[in-house]
Amino acid sequence: MTQPFLSIRKLRKAFGAFTAVHDVTLDIPRGEFLTFLGPSGSGKSTTLYAIAGFQDPSSGDVLLEGKSLLAVPPHKRNIGMVFQRYTLFPHLSVAENVAFPLRVRRRPEAEVKRKVADMLGLVRLESFAERLPGALSGGQQQRVALARALAYDPPILLMDEPLSALDKKLREEIQAEIRRIHRETGVTILYVTHDQEEALHLSDRIALFRDGRIEQTGTGEDLYLRPATDFVAGFIGNSNFLAAEHLETVGGAATIRLGDGSLVSGISANGSFERGQKTRLMIRPEAFRLERGPTSAELAVEIVDVAFYGERRRIVARTAAGQEIDIRPTSAAMASQDAAPRHRQVFFDPGAAFLFPA
Amino acid sequence: MLVPLRNQGVAMSVETQRSIATMRMPGGLGGLLPALILIGLFFVVPVLALLLRSVTDPAPGLQNYAALLGDGTYARVFFNTFLVAAVVTIVTILVAFPVAWMLAIMPPALASIVFGIIILSMWTNLLTRTYAWMVLLQRTGVINRALMATGVIDQPLPLINNLTGVTIGMVYIMLPFMILPLVGTLRAIDPMTLRAAALCGASPFQAFRRILLPLSLPGVAAGGLMVFVMSLGYFVTPALLGGTANMMLAEMIAQMIQSLLNWGLGSAAAFILLVVTMALYALQLRLVGARRATGGV
Repeated sequence: MTQPFLSIRKLRKAFGAFTAVHDVTLDIPRGEFLTFLGPSGSGKSTTLYAIAGFQDPSSGDVLLEGKSLLAVPPHKRNIGMVFQRYTLFPHLSVAENVAFPLRVRRRPEAEVKRKVADMLGLVRLESFAERLPGALSGGQQQRVALARALAYDPPILLMDEPLSALDKKLREEIQAEIRRIHRETGVTILYVTHDQEEALHLSDRIALFRDGRIEQTGTGEDLYLRPATDFVAGFIGNSNFLAAEHLETVGGAATIRLGDGSLVSGISANGSFERGQKTRLMIRPEAFRLERGPTSAELAVEIVDVAFYGERRRIVARTAAGQEIDIRPTSAAMASQDAAPRHRQVFFDPGAAFLFPA
Repeated sequence: MLVPLRNQGVAMSVETQRSIATMRMPGGLGGLLPALILIGLFFVVPVLALLLRSVTDPAPGLQNYAALLGDGTYARVFFNTFLVAAVVTIVTILVAFPVAWMLAIMPPALASIVFGIIILSMWTNLLTRTYAWMVLLQRTGVINRALMATGVIDQPLPLINNLTGVTIGMVYIMLPFMILPLVGTLRAIDPMTLRAAALCGASPFQAFRRILLPLSLPGVAAGGLMVFVMSLGYFVTPALLGGTANMMLAEMIAQMIQSLLNWGLGSAAAFILLVVTMALYALQLRLVGARRATGGV
């Protein structure tokens, strides 16, 4: 087995009686963009801080190319980090901020000059070199922080919610910048965010945290299309959950009875269920169809509201069992259905629906 | 005890005050009159009387100033005054910095208790505190006895009636005036900045020297100048803990007036002290003003 580049081994961190991180284990190959996604308090930042060296784990290990980092103090870990707030040195110019890591390493002046110019070019702030950080916008400051973190070619770049202090437009701009820089430098990035869209846009892989544990690790597609748990399904994208009774599972395909008594077969089952067990059926809003397909299951609903959202419409409907569901057909699919009856059938592919324990 | 903070506030907002003053000048002078009378009566008039006395007593002329500036004995007192003030200021900064840093990063509840202790010490009578130091520092005092009992030293250390005694006693008195402005400056520094410096590869010492120290310099300068100026004119502590060999200016003035009844010479010395103090205060205003003008921290 080849040795992973960065390896988190059974990492655990307890603050008194509260355990922030339980046995997190994760291997990260060189050059990957991995995102720790999760609600606040899920242990993602604590894990990142343990890698940075600001928090000693209660147990477990962090290995970089097979060597433990735990005994190494933060200033010798050679890790780059971008923080939520910009944390630039307010008394130093932009150029001196970027030069700082090189100066404390006592690199020769010529190299410092060249590297600072390279880095400011990378984040496209060449003309701001002599300004003080206070004279820059939030987005520019965060780009300087990025340049500073990359100036000494760290093997790993940690980013702790770097965009959360920026407005939406700037966020998107810097996201594109981060993707480009990842592509151009090939640096391994560990990125923490609670914003699922950000995670989906940026990452090669996402580790979804919940209550100090990793719920699922995989590509954005894995998490969206093949959620391992109902928490993943609920956290990534929008989901409808319908109460259902499990009848039987054959070869991973489950048959269930919905609240209105209708039977549906061919559902993707996550785990094994007893006959008669109470379960929840997850269906994405965009997985519903208004027309019957070759393998469609059907659901009788009452349309409560239809709203126009540009490329999609949003239908709020109520099932016979009284549950509200969210349906998002493309606007084109809906066009011929404008005079939709208040009571009607909607359809879904059972293979795109997932069964979870209640 | 809020003097340093208030002073700093005045220094910071000097521009604003000036603009407000000019704005209100036409109609608002009448409102300022009571204050002006008060300042004139109790500050300007006595200072002018002092100045007058220094050039008229015992005879008109500058002979008092000539005597003070020309005589080696007086020159030594001036030198000693500046030496003590400088040593006290430096030692105060060195002791106050770690305390202020601790206060700045402490949980607020704990910090307010420590603040309370510091302020309580300021409210305790100055003489009581200085006599307490005499008890601690004298030849047969607590410190010397303890050191001799534990065998660290054979002979009592000369801790009193010399520069050491004055420095210890005055640093103790001055600490709050240094700690308070410094805590304000240090609290304004984002602790994450230091974490960022560490991850950038800065050792704790490099982070201190390149980040924390430059960022705390305005507080150090404000507190340092305050302590220096206050030390220049200090009387009680040098008189009780110092020796005759390192007399300070305030002691000399007291001696001239009380023992020698030489009001002219005493007034001249007091006036020189006043001029030096005001020059230093002007320097402080200028430094703080310059800092703000260049958009620095």
